[in-house]
Amino acid sequence: MVRKMLGAVFVLLALLATPASAASPLTNVSQQLICQCGCNMTVANCTHQDCMSAPAMRTLIQQKLDQGLSEEQVVQYFVTEYGEQVLASPPKKGLNLVAWILPFAVIIAGAIIVYLALKKWVFQGRTSQVEVKTEAEEDDEKYRLRLEQELKQFGERGYR
Amino acid sequence: MADIGYIALLLALVASLYSATAFVFGKRRNIPALVDSARNGVVAVCGLVSIAVLALLYAILTHDFQIEYVASYTARDMSLTYLLSAIWAGNDGSLLFWAWLLALFGMIVVLQRRDVGRELVPYASTIVMVTEVFFLFLLLSVANPFHKLSFLPADGRGLNPLLENPGMLFHPPNLLGGYVGFTIPFAFAMSALLTRRLGDEWIVSIRRWTLVSWLLLSIGNIIGAWWAYVELGWGGYWAWDPVENASLLPWLTGTAFLHSIMMQRRRGILKKWNMVLVIITFSLSIFGTFLTRSGILSSVHTFADTTLGPFFLVFIGVTLFSSLGLLYYRSELLNSEAEMESLVSRESTFLMNNLFLVGAAFAVFLGEIFPLISEAVRGVKITVGAPFYNQVNGPIFLAIIFLAGVCALIGWRRSSVSNLMRNFLWPLAIALVIGSALIILGVRQPYAVFAFTVCAFVLTTILYEWFRGTRARRRMRGDNYLKAFFGLLGANRPRYGGYTVHIGLVLIAIGVIGSSFYNVEKEATLLPGESMSIKNYTLTYENKDTFQTETRQVDSATLSVFNGGKLLGKIVPSKYYSVSYEQSVTEVAIRSTPAEDLYAILIGWDDAGATSFKILVNPLVSWIWIGGIVLVLGGLIAFWPERRKLPVEIRVEARETVGSVSNKKSGNGINKVRSSSEARRG
Repeated sequence: MVRKMLGAVFVLLALLATPASAASPLTNVSQQLICQCGCNMTVANCTHQDCMSAPAMRTLIQQKLDQGLSEEQVVQYFVTEYGEQVLASPPKKGLNLVAWILPFAVIIAGAIIVYLALKKWVFQGRTSQVEVKTEAEEDDEKYRLRLEQELKQFGERGYR
Repeated sequence: MADIGYIALLLALVASLYSATAFVFGKRRNIPALVDSARNGVVAVCGLVSIAVLALLYAILTHDFQIEYVASYTARDMSLTYLLSAIWAGNDGSLLFWAWLLALFGMIVVLQRRDVGRELVPYASTIVMVTEVFFLFLLLSVANPFHKLSFLPADGRGLNPLLENPGMLFHPPNLLGGYVGFTIPFAFAMSALLTRRLGDEWIVSIRRWTLVSWLLLSIGNIIGAWWAYVELGWGGYWAWDPVENASLLPWLTGTAFLHSIMMQRRRGILKKWNMVLVIITFSLSIFGTFLTRSGILSSVHTFADTTLGPFFLVFIGVTLFSSLGLLYYRSELLNSEAEMESLVSRESTFLMNNLFLVGAAFAVFLGEIFPLISEAVRGVKITVGAPFYNQVNGPIFLAIIFLAGVCALIGWRRSSVSNLMRNFLWPLAIALVIGSALIILGVRQPYAVFAFTVCAFVLTTILYEWFRGTRARRRMRGDNYLKAFFGLLGANRPRYGGYTVHIGLVLIAIGVIGSSFYNVEKEATLLPGESMSIKNYTLTYENKDTFQTETRQVDSATLSVFNGGKLLGKIVPSKYYSVSYEQSVTEVAIRSTPAEDLYAILIGWDDAGATSFKILVNPLVSWIWIGGIVLVLGGLIAFWPERRKLPVEIRVEARETVGSVSNKKSGNGINKVRSSSEARRG
C-alpha cells in the first residue's frame, strides 16, 4: 500500500514538476524545441558550428516573442510549421501519454508483483522455519552482535 | 604489416572456432585432453588478436597511410598519446579493440585460479569464443581495419578535433571494456544453464567480473559526461543522446544484477530473474556497441557509417532467442528456495531497488523506441528528448537513491517497525534540518528542496551506519576510532565498498540536482572594455587574440572575472578552425569552484570588434566529478580481492579428514591451486 502510494506520488511529481527555470523566455522556448540540423539537441544546446538551423530558429523565436506572443504560442507556432517532431519531448496527450505513464505503470505493477512474491516467500519462510528470531528492540549491544555476526559470516561463507 | 594483421585475425577466427567446438566435445565426451587443447586455443586466440592489434598500432605509429584506417584517423603531426588512442577512434579499430578485450578476458577466464565454478569454464569459454567468432567475422568482412587504399595519401586526415581531449583517451576503452566484460557473466550463466549446475557456483564465479564490468562502464560514462561538458560546449554533461542512453541501459540493468545476485546468494530467490537480467545486460551491451558503431543514429558518437547494422541485429536476435529459450527449458530447475522472514527487511529494499532500476531502464528504452511506435501508430513523427527523460527518470532515480538510504538502516532478514523508526529518527531529523536550512538559504523550488533533502537523508544514514559500526568495533576491540574504522572497511570490503559507491552516487545526484534546477545563462555582445554581469559575477571583455598554429587558426577572447569588485582571474574562451578537418570548434573556458562553475562560450564576433558570448553559471557541477571519483574508489574497494588463504586451508582440512578416499581427485585440485599460486608469486 505504502509503495503504491509512493508510486502515485512520484507520478504526480513527474507530471507536475516541469522545472520552472529562471531563464529568459528565449531560453525557455529554445529548450523545448529540437534543432533541425540533425544533431538531436535542443535549439538551446546545439553547438554545431555549421548548424544552419539553430541560429535561425533562435532569431525566429525572438521575433515571435517580440511580436507579443506568449511562450506557449511561440512553441505552438513551431509545431504548426514543423510538425510535432520539433518538440523536444512529446506533448502529454493522446498516444504520447503511453510513453509518459507506462514506465510508472510498469513500476507499480512490478511493485505489486514484488509485494505478492515477498508475502508468499515470507509465508513459506514462516512455515518452514522452526524458530524465528525477533529483533524487537535493537540497542547498541544487539547491533554490535549483529554486525559481528554478519562480518563473521562474511568471512566464513564469503561475499555478503 | 597490414597482411600480418589480417592473417592473424584469420588464424584467430580458425582458432576460436576450434576452441568453441573442442570445449563442447571435450566436455560432452569427457576427453580432458581435448578440453586442455581448447584452453590453449583460447590463449592462442588472445595471442593472435594481440598480434593484429600490434600490427595496427605499428601501422599507426609508422604512418602507413596506405591503410585506410590509418589515413582516416591519424596524421603526421599527432602526438604519441593521440596516435595510440586512434585505435578506438574509428569504427573498425574499436571493433578490433572489442575483440582483443574479449580474447583477453576469455584468456583470463581459462587461466584464472578458481575454487568454485571450474566445471562451468568449458561451456562458458565456448560462449565467449562464439562471441569472439562474431566479432572476428565482422573484422574480416565488413569492418576490416587493415583495408588498403589503392593509392598512397601524403598525409592522413587526423583525429576529429572534438576527440582531441584527454577524456577521449579513457572514455572509449572504459566503456568498451564494460560492454565486453558483461560477456563473461553471461557466458557463465549460459554455462550454468547448459550444465544444469544452477546453484550458487556461477554467481560466485562472476561476481567480480560483473563488478569490474560495471566499474568500467561507470568510469566510461562519467568520463564521457566530463568530455561532453568541457568539449562540446553547450554547458551540460548529459544530453540523453541515443548513444549515451545505450550505455546507460546496460549500466542500469547491470547495477540491478549486482544487487539481485546477492539475493540469490543469501536467500535462494530470484534465480530466474538473475538469468533474465544477465541476458538483458549482455544483449544491451551488444546493442550499445551496435548503436555506437552502426551509424544508424546521428549523434556526436557516430564517426562512421557502415553496413554493420544487420549483422548486429541478427547476433542480438539469435542471442536473445537462444538464451531465453534455454532459460525456458531449464526454468523448472530454477525455482526459489524461498525463505524470507519478514516483509520489513533489507531484502525487500533490494527487491525494490531492482524494480526501480529495471523500471528506469525500461523508461529509457521506451523513450528510445517511442518515435518508431508513434510513427507506426499515428503516422506522426515525434522527438523524445531531454525533457522527457528528465521528468520520467528524475523521480525514479530519486527513489533509487532513497532506497540506498533505507537499505543502510534496515537489518538483513528481519526488522520490526519500531526498530526501524528508532534507526530512522536521527537521519530523518538531520535531513529535515538540512532541508529547512536550504529553504531559509533561498532554495525554493519544491522539487529541488525535496530532492536535496532525500540526498541529505541518504548521506546521513550511510555515515551513521559507518559511525555505528566503527563505534561498535572500537568498544569490542578497544581500537581507536581510526583503526576501528579501517578495520570495519577491511572486514567486509564488498559491503563497505558498496556504501562508498552509494555515497558517490548521492554526491553525483546533488551535483545533477543543483546544476539542472539552478543554472543561469546569459548571452551578451560586448566591445572591448565593456562588461556584463551574471549572478554575482561581473565579466569585462579585455581583448581578442588571433594566432595560428600548425594545424589550427585560433581566435581567443580574454574576459576578466570580478566578484563584488574583486578580481578573481581571467578566463579565455576560444574558437579554432581545424585545417585538416575543415571544421571549427568551440573551446569553452570554465572557472570551477565547489559551489559553482562559471562557463564561458565564445559565440562569434564582427569586424567592428563586437564579440558575442554565452555565459553560464552551473551550480555544484564539481560535485558530479568528485562523486564519480568516490564511486570508482568504492567500486575498487568492493572489487579488491580477499586474501585467498581460506579455500586452500579448507581443502587441506578436507583432505586431512577425508584421508585417502578419492585421493586422486582432491590431490589434483590441491596441486592445481598450489602450482598456480606459485606461478603467481613468480
